[in-house]
Amino acid sequence: MTTPDGNVAREATTPDPDLAREAIEYCYEHDWTDGLPVVPASEALLEQFLDTTARSPDEVLWRMDHLDRECTVRTAAINAAMAGCLPEYFPIVLSAWDAVMRDRAAKGGGWQSTSGPAPLIVINGPIRSELGINSTGGIFAAGFRPNATIPRALGLMLRNAFGVVPHVFDQTTQGIPGRWAICFGENEEESPWEPLATETGLEPGTNAVSATLTRTYEFVDNRHTQDPEQLLNDFADTLSRTGSLIFRGQSAGVVFCPEHAQMLAGAGMSKSDVKDWFIEHVGRTEADLRRAGKDGVAEGGPGARSASADERAPADTFTPYFTAHKDIPIIVAGARNAAISMVFRVFGEWSNTSVEIEPAPVPATAKGG
Amino acid sequence: MICSDAFKATADAMAGVQGAPGYRYLTTPHPVAGLTPEQVRERAEAVAAQVAELLAQ
Repeated sequence: MTTPDGNVAREATTPDPDLAREAIEYCYEHDWTDGLPVVPASEALLEQFLDTTARSPDEVLWRMDHLDRECTVRTAAINAAMAGCLPEYFPIVLSAWDAVMRDRAAKGGGWQSTSGPAPLIVINGPIRSELGINSTGGIFAAGFRPNATIPRALGLMLRNAFGVVPHVFDQTTQGIPGRWAICFGENEEESPWEPLATETGLEPGTNAVSATLTRTYEFVDNRHTQDPEQLLNDFADTLSRTGSLIFRGQSAGVVFCPEHAQMLAGAGMSKSDVKDWFIEHVGRTEADLRRAGKDGVAEGGPGARSASADERAPADTFTPYFTAHKDIPIIVAGARNAAISMVFRVFGEWSNTSVEIEPAPVPATAKGG
Repeated sequence: MICSDAFKATADAMAGVQGAPGYRYLTTPHPVAGLTPEQVRERAEAVAAQVAELLAQ
């Protein structure tokens, strides 16, 4: 086998690359892939995945009645294996699926939306270090197997179990770069605040997944000020942009880098304080909304999209975007080497809950020992 | 059923999974979302005769 550095591996144990490629091409021919090669899943490999959960292989994880399709634990395991997951990632895949499906939009057809929303998957607890889940430098970048393969498993489940394929049941207009690649651990070690899973009600130290469907990601680079109010105003500008507005009800979050989070905490702000600040300051004036043809949004209600020829409210009327803490998920992740954070837009409604990752069952041979 | 013509592929596929391949429905030109109430009324008038024809079948 040739190696990526231009050499050739000749050990007796080197697997046969032509045989592997044959199996990979077989998967392509059956339209089982997302465009990238998948790992061909043998029955033996499937058993390894199923051994990591106490859930029955026949348990239905989710059913989409309108498509007359469902995904069982077994089907999920096959697709997780094909995505390149290790068997020990499978309990996270199951929890991630459950966490996303707590999102109202995911239950309501969001997976097939023209927005092409991406699941955002955040992992808390010691399992991050045990499995090598990246929570520091490059959380939105490539290079870490669990970060790359766990969200990909969800994408393959959607495609292969539910039959949601592009141009047919997947009606995505453009989609989000890296739609099936947004999964990382929270940087609990450098966060000044309680972990997300603790904030949402689980015991500290619990292995857990929080997830929702998301639409946009945009960075806020602010290495320019030590004034927390100025920093928050910089975030508010991105959070308040009109381009992301569809309806009155908005939900957007921030993945704070450790430096930004520590600056805010150093000024005495809790996560709750930051959310209060955003509720008060994030929004636009009637004049701004009107300039973008979105003044109808201020009236609220589904379908309130139309611009108006007449002025609906005084130009300086302020429309806040958020109403409650649950509208503004806050996570801390990334490296502490620069003050760069990420604003993300929630597609529908963040459940504001986390799902515990169930430990693998103890094998029968190990019981009573 | 009436949908905008950008969703024909999905509508045809939905008919198939619902056990009614070839189900007849009507389309109106895409886009619809940004139309004013008056423009929506014009669309309705344009398709009304076809609705009556389809229902009579």
